[in-house]
Amino acid sequence: MKSVVYINEVLTVSLGRIARFGLLSVLALLSACSHIDDDERLIKMDVNVPTGDPTEVTRNVLLEDFTGQRCVNCPKGAKVIDQLQESDFGERVIAVGIYSGPFGKNASGALLPLSTQTGCDYYDHWQIESQPGAIINRSGHVYYSPQDWTREVMAALGGKSAVKMDLEAVLHDGNIEIAVHSQGYGDFAGKLQVWVVEDGIVALQLLPDAPEEDPAWKGGSDPGYVHNHVFRAAVNGSWGEDFAISTGEQKSNRMQIPAAEAWNTDHLSVVAFVCNGKGVEQVVKGKVKTEK
Amino acid sequence: MMAAGMTAQDDGLTLSGSIQSDMLIPQEDKSTGAVKKEDFLTNTYADLQLQSKYVDAGMRLEYLDHPLPGYENDFKGWGVPNFWVKGKLGKGELTLGTFYEQFGSGFVLRTYEERSLGIDNSLLGGRLLLKPTDGVVLKLLSGKQRHYWSWSGGLVSGADVEVSLDEWIPSMQQHDTRLSLGASWVNKQEKDELVPAIGHLGYRYNLPEFVNAWDVRANLSKGPWSALVEYAQKTQDPSLDNNFSYADGHVALLSGSYSERGLSVLLQAKRSENMSFRSRRNVNGISSYVNHLPAFTLDHTYALAALYPYATQLADGEWAYQAEVGYNFKRKTAIGGRYGMNVKLNYSYVRAIQDAWFKWGSQTYYQDLNVQLSRKFTKDFKLSLMYMNQRYNQPVVEKHGEMIHSNIFVADGMMQLAPKAKLRCELQYLQTKEDQGDWAFGLVELSLAPHWMFTLSDLWNCGDASAETLASGEENTHLHYYQALVTYNIGSHRLQAGYGRTRAGYNCSGGVCRYVPATKGFTLSYNYNF
Repeated sequence: MKSVVYINEVLTVSLGRIARFGLLSVLALLSACSHIDDDERLIKMDVNVPTGDPTEVTRNVLLEDFTGQRCVNCPKGAKVIDQLQESDFGERVIAVGIYSGPFGKNASGALLPLSTQTGCDYYDHWQIESQPGAIINRSGHVYYSPQDWTREVMAALGGKSAVKMDLEAVLHDGNIEIAVHSQGYGDFAGKLQVWVVEDGIVALQLLPDAPEEDPAWKGGSDPGYVHNHVFRAAVNGSWGEDFAISTGEQKSNRMQIPAAEAWNTDHLSVVAFVCNGKGVEQVVKGKVKTEK
Repeated sequence: MMAAGMTAQDDGLTLSGSIQSDMLIPQEDKSTGAVKKEDFLTNTYADLQLQSKYVDAGMRLEYLDHPLPGYENDFKGWGVPNFWVKGKLGKGELTLGTFYEQFGSGFVLRTYEERSLGIDNSLLGGRLLLKPTDGVVLKLLSGKQRHYWSWSGGLVSGADVEVSLDEWIPSMQQHDTRLSLGASWVNKQEKDELVPAIGHLGYRYNLPEFVNAWDVRANLSKGPWSALVEYAQKTQDPSLDNNFSYADGHVALLSGSYSERGLSVLLQAKRSENMSFRSRRNVNGISSYVNHLPAFTLDHTYALAALYPYATQLADGEWAYQAEVGYNFKRKTAIGGRYGMNVKLNYSYVRAIQDAWFKWGSQTYYQDLNVQLSRKFTKDFKLSLMYMNQRYNQPVVEKHGEMIHSNIFVADGMMQLAPKAKLRCELQYLQTKEDQGDWAFGLVELSLAPHWMFTLSDLWNCGDASAETLASGEENTHLHYYQALVTYNIGSHRLQAGYGRTRAGYNCSGGVCRYVPATKGFTLSYNYNF
């Protein structure tokens, strides 16, 4: 009974004082919030598409995905790339997976099979902080959220270019012979960079552990993971070669690179792009054909 | 490291400050992966505070333009990011400029500086503190949060009230009982931005402009007993951390302790879910956190005990428990011996959650059982021993690897060689079949009072990597991470010079972790306070 009286005394005095100082008014502020119901959580976006005007060249989008075989979150980024490439504008999105950084090496710093020293040089140059991280059209910014990749790609799809490009790549006597054809729709000066990429590589990938809600998810490490658009080599140096073109001018750049033994020549492609300090002006991709 | 200070006091005006400078002349080391990108790296801070009866003011200069390795890119820069003036009059206090604050345990608001992690999430704005009557403290604040060298996130505003009922009720004081009640509210206003929806190409997220969080708590103590119960909730806050989930966040904490006559007992439990709360919804890394959930795991200081440190899973959530018992065996007893003995047993366990509140998820995130004994055997010799059994879920904490089970043994002996000479030796061993296998650590430290200290240490990965680790592309490293340090103290100056290698790993404080790459080179550090 003594304790009941005691508690009653505490409550009476406390509530009286609290009310006196108007502290309950603070609670009223809690009602000011932005609740969004289930059916209001998504908003339709406008997607930029080519106008079809023959006097204009639309700019394709280069997505450099800094990834690694030990990076458990990187497959999420790969899924976003798949989604983009399966869309109506997918052919204009050219992704390159640059295996590099801490998740592209083992603990003693040795490169894992899909990583390259050139890729690590790019990783260091762009000061990548975590993986996956992506650079879109070399805009100078690294995006770490795959949502941002989609946004930036969609924004970039509306861009016009001063250069129209296409390329041919043929495997001949163990060498990949490449011809990059360019046509000026304006004046441009910068660098031409040519890379070899490979699709369909089956190799180890670390994955997140199985979440509670998805028992079908294969967690841990997956030796049968399929890696696509994997950066293999830079054909004309890590930072490309000088390139300039004027309005109406046409030019072809030819180069070659030996196909390494580790590459599956049936799955190789070549990516070529021109860029300068403002970013990527144009990018194209072509499959490496085998000479018959 | 470099630190400096001076004090001036005249007519109630006090000037105080400090300098801290950590420097590294890096070298490349291909075996550890240490790189040399610049010739000289330093993190240097200079603090200055002026205090008077009615007005305080302060500022901090930071020179981080060539920072030590492992900090986020935006960390680089220099300037005066902290500056404040505080007016004090009667029962009120108004701060304008940058300030730090914590409401309760920090569930909804904690801004703080932790230099070892590169964290300074201070607010730039105004803070009003009122003590309208005995036992009541009211805080109101609003400001923009520091994100390295900008204040570009959402506007953070909040209020907190703490009422100490024992100051109102004399009978509580007579019964040696203290009861305080607290309530907090924090609001983040962040402008809309375009974030495309994953899995819904062509759609973007409809993001809330306001996110609210509130917290209630009660702290009761009577004699040697004390208890804390606290609950906080956060409204919809879709963010990069929670994969743009619209679920509310929750956290509840229950803590009880007993402490009297050499015996201390602590029991704690916490459940958190989706409580990552940042002033910028679309950032990763360790910046821009508005709140902080206290860690329920020990921050170990011994090298091998800290090899696999746990980081609180703010967004995913966790069930966390901690129990600790400490006892001082008295001097001149059978167990305590001539000089007494201290024993401490600590157990922490962190587990995944499920949607159902009281159900565990399937994964253990972390477990640490450790027992520490400390005993002085003679006037000149003291020995501390520790055994620790640890389970560390590397995939959850580091996003790669495997569950690591380890047994860690530590012996730490201190000998008084002469009135001004002390020798301390540490021997540590970590046994595990996982990750990179076993590790050994040895340290010898000679102190020559009052000025000198010499330290030699080596961390050796003496074991072989596990099959799973080798399959993931790792190799056996068998590397030595050696270090030699010389420290000189004079007055309030401390200078330390050294040379050595450090391994790549995680540096954690309070459950927040930063990845630090391997380094090698000469180090210098200087501290001074005045």
